[in-house]
Amino acid sequence: MKKYFAGIDSGSTMCKSVLFDGETILDINTVKTGWNPKLSSAESLGVLLERNNISKNDVYVSTTGYGREAVDFADYSFTEITCHAYGGIYLIPNIQGIIDIGGQDSKVIEIKNGKVVNFFMNDKCAAGTGRFLSMASETLDIDLKDIDAFSDLSDPVSINSMCTVFAESEIIGLLAMQSDRSKIMAGVLYSIAKKIQQQSSKLDFSEDMPLLMTGGLTISKALIDTIATTIGHEVITHKYALHAGAIGACICANKQLRK
Amino acid sequence: MNKNEVPSIFETFGDARKQGFIAVKNLKDQGKKVVGVFCTYSPVEIILAAGAVSVGICAFSDETIAEAEKVLPKNLCPLIKSSYGFAVTEKCPYMYFADLVVGETTCDGKKKMYELLSEIKNVHVMQLPQTQEDEVSKDLWYKEVLLLKDRIEKDFGITITDEDIKKAIRLKNEERKLLKEFYELSKSCPPPITGAEQLKVLYGSQFKFDIEQKNKELRDTIDKVKTDYANGIENVSNDAKRILITGCPLAGVTEKIVTAIEASGGVVVAYENCIGVKPADRLVDEEGDPYKALAERYLNIGCSVMTPNNKRMELITSLVKEFNVDGVVEMTLQACHTYNIETNTVRELLQKQDIPFITVETDYSTSDVAQLKTRMAAFIEMIS
Ligand code: SF4
Ligand code: SF4
Repeated sequence: MKKYFAGIDSGSTMCKSVLFDGETILDINTVKTGWNPKLSSAESLGVLLERNNISKNDVYVSTTGYGREAVDFADYSFTEITCHAYGGIYLIPNIQGIIDIGGQDSKVIEIKNGKVVNFFMNDKCAAGTGRFLSMASETLDIDLKDIDAFSDLSDPVSINSMCTVFAESEIIGLLAMQSDRSKIMAGVLYSIAKKIQQQSSKLDFSEDMPLLMTGGLTISKALIDTIATTIGHEVITHKYALHAGAIGACICANKQLRK
Repeated sequence: MNKNEVPSIFETFGDARKQGFIAVKNLKDQGKKVVGVFCTYSPVEIILAAGAVSVGICAFSDETIAEAEKVLPKNLCPLIKSSYGFAVTEKCPYMYFADLVVGETTCDGKKKMYELLSEIKNVHVMQLPQTQEDEVSKDLWYKEVLLLKDRIEKDFGITITDEDIKKAIRLKNEERKLLKEFYELSKSCPPPITGAEQLKVLYGSQFKFDIEQKNKELRDTIDKVKTDYANGIENVSNDAKRILITGCPLAGVTEKIVTAIEASGGVVVAYENCIGVKPADRLVDEEGDPYKALAERYLNIGCSVMTPNNKRMELITSLVKEFNVDGVVEMTLQACHTYNIETNTVRELLQKQDIPFITVETDYSTSDVAQLKTRMAAFIEMIS
């Protein structure tokens, strides 16, 4: 039996990894996925091992995320849905649901008695995903990290197109009509929240309990708040929210191992 | 060009398709008439009784969609675009050789497409009622069945006798019983065959035109599967999660769903689809007025074009039990309003029965293969 688990969540933009000993998170790391998910995963793992002075032979590697199939040196592999759910449960033990917005997809997961019971994930279209947000902020010439300071949530312009391509033309049109950029940005956040609402409203959540948001977009408090108001639930996050998938990969591997 | 010659564009098609094509060409050479049908509501017994061959001409590949979009709108169901595309490009041998094409007023997209199709093909559209219970609808459909008989008799210059139609009904019932016996093999745990294998037979059986011969082959296939199973040959793991597929017609490129399920620890045990259980599960009554019996059998197919569509809900409910299903996967095609709207009813139905359910909307491209894989794998992980 090896002593450690390394979870690697190879996402479309970021490769997140964690080192886990079966109970505690020992270390986390994040690198850009780049064009080669296998390479970035190996690199990320290498950093963790070196920093903690651990030999490769002492870890079970478990992967998740878009690039997981490319990571051929892994011992285990699970889908993002399952990993985000178990990572979420690890972070907030009695959590009833997870909202995860990644670079290419968004998903809402319902959890009952520590198990996934239902989930929704966007179809092919990129509406309501990280890509949608970065397209909008680029068109509006606002840096992603400045979104919170910049958005005027008191008076959002409504963006009606759910499709990324159409939304881009809509934003360009709004700019041409001299609409305020901070209000358009707020509209973009609302449009993402509406997409999440479409998914979450079909799931069975109790109103007085929070949902956990994970993934890269947790950097925006404004987005979290907008989602909370739109779906009518408290939405919380966690300092390890970005790494929930990687943590979940470790938890799932551990479970499988003990089966 | 002589109509019975092999146009070179057909050369690019795969072997299976070509086999059927050559068979159709031979039949044409022998003077047989070919009737293309688009839908499970087409009473093919009338075609058989006329001594003609019927063949399904719904298309399941995206190769002619671009061509179709020159005329049809982009946001239309890919099945309609693709089928129309095959007709205009003359790339579908069956459509190409069809002396008559039979369609029904099912969904809006199809019925409007038939108007365009009738400019290039000999098309007969049956007016399908949109509901199944009331006398007016039953009567209308009965009359439409008789009108199809008249049209075929007129177009082909023949008379269908009572004996002809009764024989056709018997043969077709025989085929249904065999198909049913075949797919019901998957009731065993584990099923003797994978869902991909089951689909291959169900879909392929459409392209075998000698029905008596086909029935023999079906019999042999069933016996072979049974013997193998009895001899302990196991194709499917005992742990595989048993999946029922439901929704829009599934074949060709949309088999990507089946692949995704079966690569993730699941096995498809039944298809509540138009290539699957729907065309085979009920027989035509062999007593009494054959045309009344046909009308009754066909009108009661549970497709989402019906309102309300209780028959589909009943069928899903019984299949879930009979096949000991662990989860239901629905596939809808993009822009298929009737199925996409009905998803909610199916979800609620299965929620009440505590059966896990997931729906995926897809099209005839392969761009969502990775994404489908993730969703199907997550679904299987969820029910494991
Ligand atoms: S899904 Fe409905 S409209 Fe389409 S072929 Fe089947 S019965 Fe006909
Ligand atoms: S899949 Fe839906 S839209 Fe397409 S032909 Fe069938 S019923 Fe019509």
